[in-house]
Amino acid sequence: MSFISIQDVCFSYEEIEEGKHVTNAVDGVSLEVEQGEFVAIIGHNGCGKSTLAKHLNALLLPDSGRVLIDGDDTAVEDNTYAIREKVGLVLQNPDNQLVASIVEEDVAFGPENLGVEPSEIRRRVDAALRAVDMYDYRGHAPYRLSGGQKQRVAIAGILAIQPQCIVLDEPTAMLDPSGRQEVISTLLKLNRTQNITVVLITHFMDEAVLADRVVVMDSGKILTQGTPGDVFSQVELLKKHRLDVPQSAELIHKLRGCGLQIDKIPLTQEDCVALLEEAMR
Amino acid sequence: MSCVLELKNIGFTYGKGTPFEKRAVDNVSLHIEQGEFIGVIGHTGSGKSTLMQMLNGLIRPTDGQVLLDGRDIWAEPKKIRQVRFKVGMVFQYPEYQLFEETVYKDIAFGAQNCGLQGDALDRAIRDAADFTGLPPALLDKSPFDLSGGEKRRAAIAGIIAMNPEVLVLDEPTAGLDPMGREVLLSQIVRYHKERHNTVLLVTHSMEDIARVADRIMVMNKGRLALFEPTREVFRKGDTLRGYGLQVPQITRIMQDLRRRGLDVPEGVLTVDEAFAALLPLLQKEGKLW
Repeated sequence: MSFISIQDVCFSYEEIEEGKHVTNAVDGVSLEVEQGEFVAIIGHNGCGKSTLAKHLNALLLPDSGRVLIDGDDTAVEDNTYAIREKVGLVLQNPDNQLVASIVEEDVAFGPENLGVEPSEIRRRVDAALRAVDMYDYRGHAPYRLSGGQKQRVAIAGILAIQPQCIVLDEPTAMLDPSGRQEVISTLLKLNRTQNITVVLITHFMDEAVLADRVVVMDSGKILTQGTPGDVFSQVELLKKHRLDVPQSAELIHKLRGCGLQIDKIPLTQEDCVALLEEAMR
Repeated sequence: MSCVLELKNIGFTYGKGTPFEKRAVDNVSLHIEQGEFIGVIGHTGSGKSTLMQMLNGLIRPTDGQVLLDGRDIWAEPKKIRQVRFKVGMVFQYPEYQLFEETVYKDIAFGAQNCGLQGDALDRAIRDAADFTGLPPALLDKSPFDLSGGEKRRAAIAGIIAMNPEVLVLDEPTAGLDPMGREVLLSQIVRYHKERHNTVLLVTHSMEDIARVADRIMVMNKGRLALFEPTREVFRKGDTLRGYGLQVPQITRIMQDLRRRGLDVPEGVLTVDEAFAALLPLLQKEGKLW
């Protein structure tokens, strides 16, 4: 069985005013994610992707359908803590999720709450900070760090709980290009070297192309999914649903419209240059 | 054209005389002409936000002068309020600043403080709502009932309603989806075209800024590293990378092709430009119909 199993989940936020039409924020989503997979979820604002993410560690429970994490149903209260140890959540704004005044104390917050032995906490905090390349900053105050550094500390705080999966909801939206790069390479490293499952929600297509699988959401439903190559080939479909494709894909798509014979849609600079060079010969 | 903003050797030091003393902006001098669309880029901590806050007197430079229409804005510190009406500032995530009962009243707040009344005020509010793409039906709603993107528009409309000579926007599209970014950006471009006001846009999106700016300021370590026409700036890929910045993917692709001997122009900024450059080459090779 998959590590994450989302089965026909529906969820709607309760409207305070009566008589309002309630639409499902998540509307019949089924999705399986294997241990060790790197999945990117894209979709426009309000498509339900953040709501779906909050179902993955029992912050929200489905109105109907089921979410199973490693076989455990999130709706069963006794499972809640076990699930939150397995699935960590990183949010958009780094300032909203750091709690302590020293970096290493912040990272220790999770394992302390789980009642982990002090010597083990020390070991986990050091390992987590090394994994995100922030060990040299362990004695710093979080507020003096850059956005990218803060997000990496937030990720370290999750790693110290030793989860099997990290879910990130637009973790790079507030970062500059180099901060984004730092966070994304950290995630790729954790995924490849420690086999941690990563579910990355993002508006940046250049991040989504790095995933094993891209899931596109629209109006609470899954619109399409597949490898980045498959998904970003559907240029028209994505544009219609307020999404973007990498500039390389857009260029080749336009040239194909004029009759250029290229089967593959390139996602990176290198692929695009190689394809165009080939075409010129 | 006339010079609307001039900075003369301005600098700013945070926490002067404390252990945390930090030189955030160092010896920046520049001219901005009336009606220009300026992009401002630089990695986190490069001093760009500090620099922007000095443009309307939110912070006072520790060295140098800021001249607005030729006058030192700090010549009479008591009148600094007037400067804030002339240089409108939209901060990051401005939707958190909404506070009024209705969207209409919220947009009105700044303009009213500028002294606008009656019909002129009403027109300013409705024009600002139109520029930012807020449908009139939303004006009577509570700003807190709007979606995230609509709140952002309402907050920006509040600044535009003041009709500032210079509009400074600090990452107005952060956190919006690609289409939301596109729409907001094109609305800012339209505002700039119709009002002929000066716009400064701070952004991390090189793809966006490449398409819209006349000139780009590049900040690095508190200094003005580059201030040149957009095409010139993005020709300097290696220099930008040294500042922790990137050039748009399409610019890099075309540069690579050029390096490999293809006859394409330098400094291509948009997909449309690249398309137009490649089309005749492919046609010549008989690769298109």
